[in-house]
Amino acid sequence: MTSLWANIFQPRQDSQDTISMVLKRIPVFDGLDARELLQIEKILHEREYRPEERIFLQGDPGLGMYIIIEGNIEIVSEPGHHILTVLHEGEFFGELALLDESPRTATAIAQSPCRLLCLVQSDLYDLIDRNPKLGVKILVQLARTIGERLKKTNEYVHELKKGQEEAAAHG
Amino acid sequence: MDDTLTRWLRVLFALVVLVALFFLMSAIADLVKIVIISALIAYIMDPLAVKLESRGMGRGVATLIIFLFVSAVLTVMLILLLPVLTDQIEALHTGLTPDQVAVNITRLDHLISRKLSFLGIDNLDLAGKLERMLAGFSDWAVSHLLDVVSLFTHLVLIPFMVFFLLKDGREMKKQMVQLIPNRYFEFSMNLISKMDWQLGRYLRGQFLDALIFGILSICTLWFLGVKYFLLIGIFAGLANLIPFLGPIAGATPAIVVSIIDTGGLALAGSVILAFAVMKLIDDSIIQPVVVARSVNMHPLLVLLAVIVGGKFFGILGMLLSVPVTGFAKVAIHEGIENFRRYRLT
Repeated sequence: MTSLWANIFQPRQDSQDTISMVLKRIPVFDGLDARELLQIEKILHEREYRPEERIFLQGDPGLGMYIIIEGNIEIVSEPGHHILTVLHEGEFFGELALLDESPRTATAIAQSPCRLLCLVQSDLYDLIDRNPKLGVKILVQLARTIGERLKKTNEYVHELKKGQEEAAAHG
Repeated sequence: MDDTLTRWLRVLFALVVLVALFFLMSAIADLVKIVIISALIAYIMDPLAVKLESRGMGRGVATLIIFLFVSAVLTVMLILLLPVLTDQIEALHTGLTPDQVAVNITRLDHLISRKLSFLGIDNLDLAGKLERMLAGFSDWAVSHLLDVVSLFTHLVLIPFMVFFLLKDGREMKKQMVQLIPNRYFEFSMNLISKMDWQLGRYLRGQFLDALIFGILSICTLWFLGVKYFLLIGIFAGLANLIPFLGPIAGATPAIVVSIIDTGGLALAGSVILAFAVMKLIDDSIIQPVVVARSVNMHPLLVLLAVIVGGKFFGILGMLLSVPVTGFAKVAIHEGIENFRRYRLT
């Protein structure tokens, strides 16, 4: 009976170790100690997806960020089903949804059997209420991560513009 | 055509399940009441636990501290108020001095018959009517407040459930979310957080409003010298949980007791005036500050909910019907809204 109980309610130890390892590599949780990471783990929702199963659709309201524990995820732009990128174990997506509920800008589909962790916006806000110090650390890292992405996007736009100008100059 | 049929069959199935669930719940009414009360109390106390957690405490310690604090407050209140409360309940059950009641009622009967004789009113039988009304209320008070077995079960079960719901509620919610299929995961999480935000503000506001109104009623009735002021004040506070009907239901026992006690209408007039002023203060000052307007319910919906709650679960059901209806209203409204936003068909 005890083992059945444990099976239902206790997460497996090896699974727990993998989750801790993956979380340590996520920039949003950079600089957090083991105790703080444990608090994050407690609010994460672990989900399993079959190949071809949709995690979310472009246009859906943003709910939160996903972290890949196992498997590959395709990020697809609609219409036309253009594959923007394929994300692998230890990578994350949808982090903007931690800040607002604006619609998802792309669709996420499981390419292979996947295990994901979802950090829901409301759970993060609840954590900030309960542990403001930890909340500030996460928000600063989140701002840095989004800032990095913005910098990269700016560089990309700059290169595109430069390319366009050069192409125009050469006739 | 097939699609429409399937959709209608689904709606029909959902309705059948809802009706079956409702009858199952009414069959185990006592347990359902205990669970709803415990969940409400835990939900109302949750911000306190969050506040303590933000000071660096674990959830378990925070829950324990809240329990010790609430127990201490309740013990002090019981020591101070229980003798008065018990006296008032017992006095109400045995009735006022029968001779005095008879004299006062007869005097009032004559007064009304004399003043309103032009309307053809001659035999009101006020004594009989009031006696029946009071008997019903006092029977309820005695059976609910002085029933030792039921009181003991509730005193043990409710705190036990509240403790674990408050301590482990978050983990329980997470385990339940695990059961949701992937297709509905984002939809459900979004729905839960929206409901939590709206209902949390509404329920906590209603509770605080009832508490303030109850204290205000007790003080006012004591000041006016109304008998059983404590019992009536507590009832008025609880009744205030029911919008529109609550204040009338809360004022009625005070008016009835004043009439029986004095045999005239002067004190009853003061009581009516006092309740009108208190309601004005409640509507213009207390409610706008403490109660969120996010769960606006139509008076007709409230009336129906109170009747259905009373039919299946008695007086407690009438009180619980308002938050339960608020919960259902938000669930249905946000559910439909979310179905549209997540394009689930």
